[in-house]
Amino acid sequence: MRSKVELTLVIVALLIIGAGITYYKIAVLGFSMHPDRLETVWSVESTIDFKADGGPVKITFNMPDNSYGLVVTDFHEESPDYNFKVVGEKYKRRAVWTSKGKVSGPQRIYFRADIYRRGNASTLAGEQKPALPKINQDYYTGIYLDAAKELIGMAKSKSKNSLDLACRLIDLLNAPENHPQAGLLLKIKRDTGGRLDLVRDLLAMARIPSRIVRGIFLQEDNRLKKLTSYLEIYTDGKWNLVNPRTAKVENPKAFLLWQRGGEALLEVEGGSDSKVRFTSMANRISANKAAIKAGKHKHSWLIDFSIYSLPLYSQNTFKLLLLIPFGALVVVILRNLVGIQTAGTFMPILIALAFLQTTLVVGMILFITVVCVGLIMRFYLSHLNLLLVPRISAILVFVIFIFLAISVIGHTFGYDAGLRVTFFPMIITSWSIERMCVLWEEEGGKDVLIQGSGSLFTASIVYVLMKNQFLGNLAYSFPELLLILLAIILIIGTYTGYRLSELRRFEPMGRD
Amino acid sequence: MLITTPARLRKRNIIGMNKRNVIYIGQNNKRKYYPRVDDKLKTKVLAQKAEIAVPRLIGVARYQSHAKMLKEFLADEPAFVIKPSKGSGGKGILVIVGRDGDCWLKPSGEKVDERGLRRHVSDILSGLFSLGGKPDVAMIEELVNFSDVFDGFSFEGVPDIRVIVYKGYPVMAMTRLSTRASDGKANLHQGAVGVGIDIGTGFALNAVQNGRPIEIHPDTGKVLKELKVPDWARFLELAAQAYEMTELGYLGADIVLDQEKGPLILELNARPGLAIQVANDHGLEDRILTVEEEFRKVSRRPHERVVFAMQNFTRHDREGEIDN
Repeated sequence: MRSKVELTLVIVALLIIGAGITYYKIAVLGFSMHPDRLETVWSVESTIDFKADGGPVKITFNMPDNSYGLVVTDFHEESPDYNFKVVGEKYKRRAVWTSKGKVSGPQRIYFRADIYRRGNASTLAGEQKPALPKINQDYYTGIYLDAAKELIGMAKSKSKNSLDLACRLIDLLNAPENHPQAGLLLKIKRDTGGRLDLVRDLLAMARIPSRIVRGIFLQEDNRLKKLTSYLEIYTDGKWNLVNPRTAKVENPKAFLLWQRGGEALLEVEGGSDSKVRFTSMANRISANKAAIKAGKHKHSWLIDFSIYSLPLYSQNTFKLLLLIPFGALVVVILRNLVGIQTAGTFMPILIALAFLQTTLVVGMILFITVVCVGLIMRFYLSHLNLLLVPRISAILVFVIFIFLAISVIGHTFGYDAGLRVTFFPMIITSWSIERMCVLWEEEGGKDVLIQGSGSLFTASIVYVLMKNQFLGNLAYSFPELLLILLAIILIIGTYTGYRLSELRRFEPMGRD
Repeated sequence: MLITTPARLRKRNIIGMNKRNVIYIGQNNKRKYYPRVDDKLKTKVLAQKAEIAVPRLIGVARYQSHAKMLKEFLADEPAFVIKPSKGSGGKGILVIVGRDGDCWLKPSGEKVDERGLRRHVSDILSGLFSLGGKPDVAMIEELVNFSDVFDGFSFEGVPDIRVIVYKGYPVMAMTRLSTRASDGKANLHQGAVGVGIDIGTGFALNAVQNGRPIEIHPDTGKVLKELKVPDWARFLELAAQAYEMTELGYLGADIVLDQEKGPLILELNARPGLAIQVANDHGLEDRILTVEEEFRKVSRRPHERVVFAMQNFTRHDREGEIDN
């Protein structure tokens, strides 16, 4: 009884973990059950132009960050005359180019970032409630301070929450013609740094943290883009993107954040007249490929410690290996629920693997030929009363001869399909012949026929399953489905009901 | 009707393969006790210790050097059987029925000289007949002097009685009769006849061949209902004793009848098949559940268990024909 409870717990745990990981990968990491589903990825190309002064040149360029729904999965640069490196980590990364020698004249550097949209990639590593930006109190004195306070008061009186308050404050500042206080404050905006800085300062006075960010909205239009400034306002535990021109909260899903706070976008040492242009392009790639790329970049442990971290050729091996448990499930179902007899428990799986190379019909014909010829030769061995290991070894030699004969004869008559016989596992084939022969001697030819056809039938089903593209992609994209599969196998392992074949076997007993 | 429904089978108390494996074998037969029945020499030693009737063990050849001593060793034995201790499917069993000068005689009248006998033992020792080719030992036991009460019921050979013992209670019994169709083998799905034997009386219940009821043996023409096992209670008691000896809760005992010694256990099986239900036209489950209940309530000695079984597992539908 205790073991039953334990088993139930194990099964439930396996199901939950398996389904949970699968769900997480679909919902959060962006995997798709359907292998053909496409996702949009963007390439944003920045072209940096400047004039070199004739000496060594060093350019540092702020790199785009993961923000809101977007993940920067990859970047490329093109600058033949420069050495390139990346300094800083995570959200403070900067691209640095240093010239290989002295350069002069107009220079151009390309920098391309691949960007992929993913649900909640914005997690800016456990950001606490940010501190209020520092205000230079020197500017806000006398009438200016009064004006600021009045404006804040006006905004506050009508607002429901702090985000609303911020938006109203921006509104007020956007319409200086209606509000003299705003006009007054805007007069000192040159000193405070700009209109956005003024808004930031006023928000700080209202005890709302905010910061200025610059970035671009990604669209599928392949047009030149300019970095635009936005305000990020922190309320209710998260940053909100507010367009300072319209005083509206923007949907940040497609906003690629390039510059945050005081970061400089571009610094050129030893050059002048620098400018940056941005172009964005949208591409469609397989959803799962995009998810793996994005996951790798975000260092999701599910991706880092998974099949995707392996070199490509071993990934291909696993593509096949991951399907074998499905074959085992077929064997379990056919044996324990249907009641089909097979020669050797997992022999059908190995035969199915061979079928993958030979195709089904050719494989069937080849296998039946090999086994039949092998059986005839094996019957001769019976008379010799050999010990087990020498006997199997002798069969193995026979099997190699049969392979050779089929290949040579087939090739001579122009049927190169015969060459594929070598894909059958020799050892397993030898053992099958041995087992079938023993079965023939002990139980008779009828049983050999039943088990033989049972094996081939099972192998065919396993073959069809392994050949299935959808299942292949599913097993490869969601190896954790094997946990669910394991749970199913465990459930069948405790099944005590009748097998389908027993409904036939005991049929006379079911009569009234 | 090609197939029946699970509900009908459940109603008839039929046990399926999965249930047998998971519940009856899995929960009752500890793996460590399997060698007690899989290794016939171990079975024999245990049985002799427990004073359970088995064919007498004459000797064991364990090493190749023993093969040379065979002639001397067997000088006083007129008839014997040499078999591998871990053999399967009846392979490697050499039956000697008598002597002819320096040679031994097989039942067919064929002669076997000393070299032939030595080679046979040597083959057994090197594992020619054992599962997986593992080295084995050769057992030499006395030849059963089969009683003639079953003459004519079997196409070839002498039938044995299979009794299923659940937690020490004999719950069902049958005998398998070889036919020409089964090639002399006592295998039901190859066309041998299965005859259910009433636990209460030892009389034949009904007979089936290939799942269909039959009245007479297809080759010998004997009326199968006339089959009666004499000394039935002793058969059952022998089977019941095997429980204490093996500690296997779900057990099949194959018992033969010797002319002088009475019933002898020939072999035990830790994974007895389910065909016995067809031969009896009765499922095992209700009887097993009855035993399960008794087993929880009282602890009984083999003889008492047999009495309980004979009273409870007899077939009522033939009461008129069976006098007890």
